[in-house]
Amino acid sequence: MQEELFISFENYLNNEMSLDERNIFENQLQNDSKLREQFELFKETNQFLELKFSKESIDFKENLKKISSNHFSKKTNTKPKVISIQSKWFSIAALLVVFMGIWFLSNPGNPSYLEYNQHENANFVERSENNQNVVEAQNYFNAKQYKKANEAFAKIELNGKTDVQLFYAISLIETNQFDDANALLQDISKGESVYVNDAFWYLALASLKQKKYVECKKYVTKITDDSEKYNKAQILLNDLD
Amino acid sequence: MVSKKLHQDQIYIEGLLNNNSSIIETIYKKFAPKVINHIKMNSGNADEEQDVIQEVLIAIYNQAKTKGLALTCPFDAYFFLLCKRKWLNELKKSSNKEVTIKDENVSIDKDVEKLAMETEVQDEKQLLFDEMFQKLGEKCQEVLKLSFITKTMEEVAAKMNVTYAYVRKKKSICTGQLTELIQQSKRYSSLKY
Repeated sequence: MQEELFISFENYLNNEMSLDERNIFENQLQNDSKLREQFELFKETNQFLELKFSKESIDFKENLKKISSNHFSKKTNTKPKVISIQSKWFSIAALLVVFMGIWFLSNPGNPSYLEYNQHENANFVERSENNQNVVEAQNYFNAKQYKKANEAFAKIELNGKTDVQLFYAISLIETNQFDDANALLQDISKGESVYVNDAFWYLALASLKQKKYVECKKYVTKITDDSEKYNKAQILLNDLD
Repeated sequence: MVSKKLHQDQIYIEGLLNNNSSIIETIYKKFAPKVINHIKMNSGNADEEQDVIQEVLIAIYNQAKTKGLALTCPFDAYFFLLCKRKWLNELKKSSNKEVTIKDENVSIDKDVEKLAMETEVQDEKQLLFDEMFQKLGEKCQEVLKLSFITKTMEEVAAKMNVTYAYVRKKKSICTGQLTELIQQSKRYSSLKY
């Protein structure tokens, strides 16, 4: 009895019933909810088997596996690119990041700007054209005298000096001149320099300082995983979630 | 009901459906780090991160394939929610691991929640089907497998050295048996909607 039923399900699905048989079967389906349920499950089972054994989905799973193991092995094998920071300082910075991470975990609640504002030192003098303002800006910045740094930065022709522009923006964030900082950073973020990720990072920190968490998150998620800011960004993101 | 507007992130769903490697790689590059970070922070290791992401992407693929998934929210939110819940379930399953994820009072977008729920139900079904398939007799498993990987039932019959009529009948009956196993399982009733 059950077997006959399964055979008729299969015949119906394969369009192998005569018009009369078809009409009778559809009538039964309409009037018998238990039969309908059995038929639906039969149809779904067929669909499941098709999916399980189809070449497409087997190919997909294999390809996915390959991409997945590639992605994960790359993550563990490659070291982040370090640009022009001495390794000693880099280790110290890395340690700081780790400590900050641990500190966060034990501190619930929203993250604060102060947890992130350990800036790198500015170091753009040697290749600049002995410009007094650049020297001054750099020295004040590194001495954390941001107001004075801003005054010096303001006198510099920024065209083509993306690194100077970035540090000017950081300095402006420190003195809460967010609109000016944003304008400088937006400009960098739209360009193609190596500072694009840094720009997003500091846009995020500017938002964080203003407690604009949604905006902050928006910028953090734009930082790509090849950036040296990426680890910090993930920590911040996790804290924002 | 007015159909909602498709989200531009539907490209990721299409990419999965078409087995488009560069889109799948982009998904890993763009969306996996957040998941990895979440699992790491909640006592998971690299293998577990890899498994969760892979399983969720298969679940999304299956959902798109069988139900025609139309994304009405950002992929990121949908994908992250699925991964997060899958990891939570894993933690709950392994009793030797303490479940440390706190119940976040973050409101989840309705669309995201709905899509994720549908995908999870379908994924659960898929797992149940798979498990029940293994309970079928060897002959049934073989007939069903061959019926779906071989182009025509005539070829299946030739491969198995039986008549066409026999293969047709056997396939219907084996599919039917599989539906019975599914219906008898306790989990089935909770998956019906």
